Amino acid sequence: MLNRRRKVVVIIAGIGLMHLLSGSALAASILGDEWEKFFKEKVTISGFVENTTGLSISHGSRFFNTSNRFIMNRLTFQPEVNVEFADWAKLFVSWRLVKEPRYNAEAKSRRVAVSPKPVEPLDNTFYDEDSPKPWEAVLDLKPSDVLKIRLGRQFISWGETDGLRLLDVINPQDGTFAPPLAPNLFDLDETRIPSWGLRLTYTIRPVSNTNFEFVALPGFLDEAKQRVDEVLGSNDTADGRVRYGRWSSYPETRMPANLGGIGRLFANPVGVPVVIPSVTRDLPDAGDSWKIGARFTHTIGQLNFGLGYIWGYNPQGGDMVFKLKGLTGGGGVPTTAHISLINDRTSIFAGHFNYAIGDVAGIPVNTALRGEIAFYPSQPYNIADFPGRNCATGALTGLLAGPHCKRGLADSDAIVEKNTLRYAFGFDRTTLIPFLQEDPWRPFRLSFQLFQRVILGYEDGIRVFSTANKIPKISTVLTFRAGTGYFGDTILPDIFFAYDPQGYWAVNPAVSYAPARNERLKFTLTAAIYGGKDKFSFPGSLSEKDSIFLKMRYQF
Amino acid sequence: MKTAFNNCLRKRFYAGIVLGLAWLTFAPSTHAADADLKPGETIGPNNWQRIQGMVGENFLNRVKAGHTIQIKAPKTYRHLKEYTDATERYSGKVHLGANGELIGYVAGQPFPKYELNDPQIGQKLAWNFFWRWLGDDYKTGGAVKGGKIIRSVIEKDGSERRADLVSYFLFPRTRYTSDPKPVIPGYEHIDYMQLRIDSYPRDAAGTTTLEIRYADPNRADDLYIYIPSIRRIRRATTTQRCQTLAPSEFNLDDINSFNGKVTDFNYKFLGEKKILANLSQEKLPFDRKQGDYLPLNEKWEVVDTYVVEITPKDPNYCYPRKLLHLNKVTFDTHWTLIWDKRGEYWKEQFGMFTPVKLADGREVWSVGDVTIVNVQNGRSTIVTSTRAYNKGYPASMFSLATLESIMRGGSIE
Repeated sequence: MLNRRRKVVVIIAGIGLMHLLSGSALAASILGDEWEKFFKEKVTISGFVENTTGLSISHGSRFFNTSNRFIMNRLTFQPEVNVEFADWAKLFVSWRLVKEPRYNAEAKSRRVAVSPKPVEPLDNTFYDEDSPKPWEAVLDLKPSDVLKIRLGRQFISWGETDGLRLLDVINPQDGTFAPPLAPNLFDLDETRIPSWGLRLTYTIRPVSNTNFEFVALPGFLDEAKQRVDEVLGSNDTADGRVRYGRWSSYPETRMPANLGGIGRLFANPVGVPVVIPSVTRDLPDAGDSWKIGARFTHTIGQLNFGLGYIWGYNPQGGDMVFKLKGLTGGGGVPTTAHISLINDRTSIFAGHFNYAIGDVAGIPVNTALRGEIAFYPSQPYNIADFPGRNCATGALTGLLAGPHCKRGLADSDAIVEKNTLRYAFGFDRTTLIPFLQEDPWRPFRLSFQLFQRVILGYEDGIRVFSTANKIPKISTVLTFRAGTGYFGDTILPDIFFAYDPQGYWAVNPAVSYAPARNERLKFTLTAAIYGGKDKFSFPGSLSEKDSIFLKMRYQF
Repeated sequence: MKTAFNNCLRKRFYAGIVLGLAWLTFAPSTHAADADLKPGETIGPNNWQRIQGMVGENFLNRVKAGHTIQIKAPKTYRHLKEYTDATERYSGKVHLGANGELIGYVAGQPFPKYELNDPQIGQKLAWNFFWRWLGDDYKTGGAVKGGKIIRSVIEKDGSERRADLVSYFLFPRTRYTSDPKPVIPGYEHIDYMQLRIDSYPRDAAGTTTLEIRYADPNRADDLYIYIPSIRRIRRATTTQRCQTLAPSEFNLDDINSFNGKVTDFNYKFLGEKKILANLSQEKLPFDRKQGDYLPLNEKWEVVDTYVVEITPKDPNYCYPRKLLHLNKVTFDTHWTLIWDKRGEYWKEQFGMFTPVKLADGREVWSVGDVTIVNVQNGRSTIVTSTRAYNKGYPASMFSLATLESIMRGGSIE
């Protein structure tokens, strides 16, 4: 009841503020001419209202049947206010208000799926956002022509990649709403949590774009947000909290004990189902850790590049590495594993570049080349020995897998640290394909990306924690994106495709309609479809989440 | 085989006829039109012949069909003293290189003295156009009410979409008024830099581009785009200059009538010509019917121009032929006419001008509304883009650090 009253107050206050800011006549009568002049000249209000409806088209499963159900019906209202106090001081504030009623069928299905008690399914307001706290609130200060300071709750996105992130790790990821690998459905803002902090840019030499940038995000200023951004679920039921979002591949407790679940890593048995049925996890909430970063950027001829350092990281999904803290249970059979996330504090040495290629030997290449590289020194990984061994005695446990015994049999934590290199290359070009266009000079935008991770000093047994799937020495993902516009850009098709040569893929086709009579409206029909040889690696693990969406957006 | 050959010949024959008719319509002579149009005179469907050849073919067809225009007395402008001084001081050492490049240029008009029978006159006029006075810097849209460029895209059926934006230009090596003059140290290799910021509608707002044109004729422009939806800067190539900048009908080289690298084209002087233009636009944007690009309540005047034909050195370029009508005083363009590879009339662009004041009160001219009409698909785009000159923008504003500092709906000034 109190909660509802608070929402009503917030909504009324918001509408009142909007009315006050946008109504010049009213402002004049209440606040006087000076204020009216200020509001008229220095304040601008914009934003959008958007409704996104999602329909699951996957086959579902016997544990959680989402087949042909509404999986999303999300109404978002986001007002944005710009205030120009002076040339050197500007304020931008936005609020995000989201209401998402859930259909009974989905709630009922979740209720049935959640087991054992006392874990409860997600409540019906789980995806709502009605906080009076600004979504984004930045004060831009420009003490001089070459120094820019941005204070407040903000997004900071470094890097060059599209659809998949590599250096874009400063803001925590939020997988609550947006399915992974679906850049046509939601913008970056919908997949990140803004963080309070400072961003400073000092231009050393403008003509060569030589800039120094420093960011500091003190995590304690962030309101802890429940970590719902794991795309890979686990059998995490012991503490009675549900941490899984809509796109967790195995929501709640759908992966039954006899199929392994999280326990596979430590004690996957031969025959007898003695896997750990449940875990408790120490998870730092998204956005609650300090992050700092600094980089230099510079341009030499056609080459623009940057070198930097980031400390602090929010691992997601398959990147999360856990350490076993202890086991509880009786009769020699563990029933609950207490585990802790250990790789949320990571050093990253980063680099990026972009380079425009026009003609090569008279051949028009017309391609922008871009790349990112990230070096993670001593990156932790979960590792398991096969077959399972008691590290204290060295005796085989009879289990298929067991902890990795490193320095002596007594020293085991199933963790190994490896220097890791990640890099990505992207190739962007616009190409005229006249026979596919009604306007032969309207180009197609084509983009190809290669992502690779190389684990240096690789050892067998390095696995993804939650599914125990093997992580190869070199992991590769390829992406391709193409888009164009027809009939004066009123019809805008776009397709994003990701492929892992291990046999997994995702595709995100979309077509938008922007009416020629109203620039404020846009309708988008899109789909997020996943597949692969099995469900134990990303993005094949999301194959039960295939969905189509209709997004209707009105801008003001 | 023979049939195909005949078809080919037939097509070329018809294309030649079309081209010839188009040429007759807008030939660089005044024989078809009355150059002695009087202020106050009204031109309409009954006497359209009086302006034949003085306006674009498509515009003339609209007059034939009922649109009327009024003639007014011509407005004249004079160059600023500092531009004239720079011309006198530096033009003596300017000459053309083997590939049409400009050698010895510092500032001012490169070729103030020219002979119309000079075999290189086309190239020289092109350089005079490129280095016409545009201030030390300017904000396009800065002199429009609201301080923004208003762009209206009109479909064939009359549907309209609006977009607002601003753009900032800096000419770091041809500065006439602000110190340091004539060049900002370190920027000798840059002809101009442009920042463009979309501000409406909301989803486009904050999209910011930085474009740099280099003096080196062999170096392509740099183009960086900050995309708000991914919150980062992306590099783009500029060598695909023919691509439509949808939803508008402009391409990269249509901006400011002709925005190509001067050395990438050949120029032929076709003659002098009196045309109809508007150098003192009265209302910004001009009055018009919803869904139509024709200006209402604006009067036209007779202006003396040079007609320059532009043909590309690259045979694959989209415009095999483009005509500029350059004002003999300001070297701005009034009418720009474009044909396609089949020789068919394709696009028609006309720019109106309007007087604006500098901070010291002196009057100069600025482009007002620019209209481009694609006569083949029936779409048109109108851009209200009056400039505010000499705002003293620092060179540091035109850097990548600026791109990431724009918030949706915000400004950088």
